[in-house]
Amino acid sequence: MKKEIPILIGFFATIGWYLEFFFAGTFFENWKMFFTTGFRSVAIVGLLVGVVNVLRVNYSRIKYNNDRWYSIYQMSIIFLMVILASLRGVSPGTPFDAMYTFGFIPLDATVFSLLAFYVASASYRSFKIKSIESAFLLVAAILIMLSKMPLGEAMWSKIPAIGEWIMDGPTSAGKRAILFGAYLGGLTMMIRIAFGLEKSHLSD
Amino acid sequence: MEKLVDILKKLDRRWIFLLIFLSCIIPFWFPTLFKQEFSTSKETQRVYDIIESLNEGDAVFIDWAFNPTLQAELLPMTEQTIKQCFDNKLRVFIYYPDLTAISLGENLVANIIKEEKYSKMEKGVDYIHLGYLPISIDMMIFSMYSDFKSTFGKEGKIFKGIKTFNDIKYMISFAGSAHPEYYLLLQRRFGFRMGAGVTAVTGPDFIPYLQTGQLDGLLFGLKGAAEYENLRLKNLNVSGDQFKKEKKLNQKANAGMASLTLSHLIMFVFIGIGNLIYFYEKKYKKSN
Repeated sequence: MKKEIPILIGFFATIGWYLEFFFAGTFFENWKMFFTTGFRSVAIVGLLVGVVNVLRVNYSRIKYNNDRWYSIYQMSIIFLMVILASLRGVSPGTPFDAMYTFGFIPLDATVFSLLAFYVASASYRSFKIKSIESAFLLVAAILIMLSKMPLGEAMWSKIPAIGEWIMDGPTSAGKRAILFGAYLGGLTMMIRIAFGLEKSHLSD
Repeated sequence: MEKLVDILKKLDRRWIFLLIFLSCIIPFWFPTLFKQEFSTSKETQRVYDIIESLNEGDAVFIDWAFNPTLQAELLPMTEQTIKQCFDNKLRVFIYYPDLTAISLGENLVANIIKEEKYSKMEKGVDYIHLGYLPISIDMMIFSMYSDFKSTFGKEGKIFKGIKTFNDIKYMISFAGSAHPEYYLLLQRRFGFRMGAGVTAVTGPDFIPYLQTGQLDGLLFGLKGAAEYENLRLKNLNVSGDQFKKEKKLNQKANAGMASLTLSHLIMFVFIGIGNLIYFYEKKYKKSN
């Protein structure tokens, strides 16, 4: 019964959501509100599980001296943010906001900006014309990049139009093909889950 | 020649990092390093025109789905959208599907209302932060179409006349991922008007939706943000000192354009050198 009941719930939920697209009425309004509230409850419980997990992992690291100082630092910051938010709120001008603005924002932006350096280094070493296909890729990439900066238009007024054509034509066609494939895959997966053929979500 | 090729081949990547760093930093001191004139794309123009066409008091829903990692590209365009809404006396609802984005949004709006022009904008009347909901976007859309106000559990005069999401005249999603697609999945069913502001990397993913008409407009990367800034400035109908003041306040994306250009040029040079080494070696190996 551990498997059968979740499969039955999945089956009726799928049928319900599918019918909802075709029928209106109080039943389906209540159905939607039931699931919306249910999702909120599940997400909040999920958040609590996440917090407990972080505490457990870091507690064992501190206890067994496995990168202890990193864990102590992480835990201190988590508790500090929670305490600051509880004491003075989170609106602009509060200590929590100061930590966010002067700590989180620069750190978060810095980590992401590292990508630019790695992209530059990687393109130097691997963006090479080894075949006709890679030649097309390189030319298209350079044209798109030029069309997305003022210099491209200053060099030749047709560059933005060429960039737009590449995006609207070949890129868009490729993207549509991928989208169709992905959504057909999604539909197949939905049918498999609804009929209990796919059980990976039940840790099977 | 062989020695040079060998040096370039074994070039320490820290030199590349240094050059990219300098190419990003230097243009901020020399913003006029490159010609900064560029035309406005039709996607940007469409977003601007739609917001401009709305009537006073109409509601605009902003979906703020980016955190500080993407603020260089997305913050300037979000700022201009909010300012344009305020200019046209539209009611602005800002929703955050990402918990780490809330303070970023609150700070931006707090900074906007510090400007003399927007100092009379009131929270709960002219704009509201709807916060974060721990539910998926499709669930949220269904809920908003049942009861907009109770979905977010917020109060304020701003909700007057807004019963469901049908009463929202335009929505725009700012994201650096496929996030706006969650709205687009239900856009055809409910028929809400929608635009998006995305990073240059994710921009191509949304072109098919522009072609089908599901998206009304698209702000595409830093250039899209700069185009939007220029459009707003051009249509502000101010001159002299007032124009200079407005320009100073609304040029964040334009300020980054020179940096974007120089760093891309450096990348082109490196890609070119990489290919020259590759072809030289190929020829050299063949002849031996």
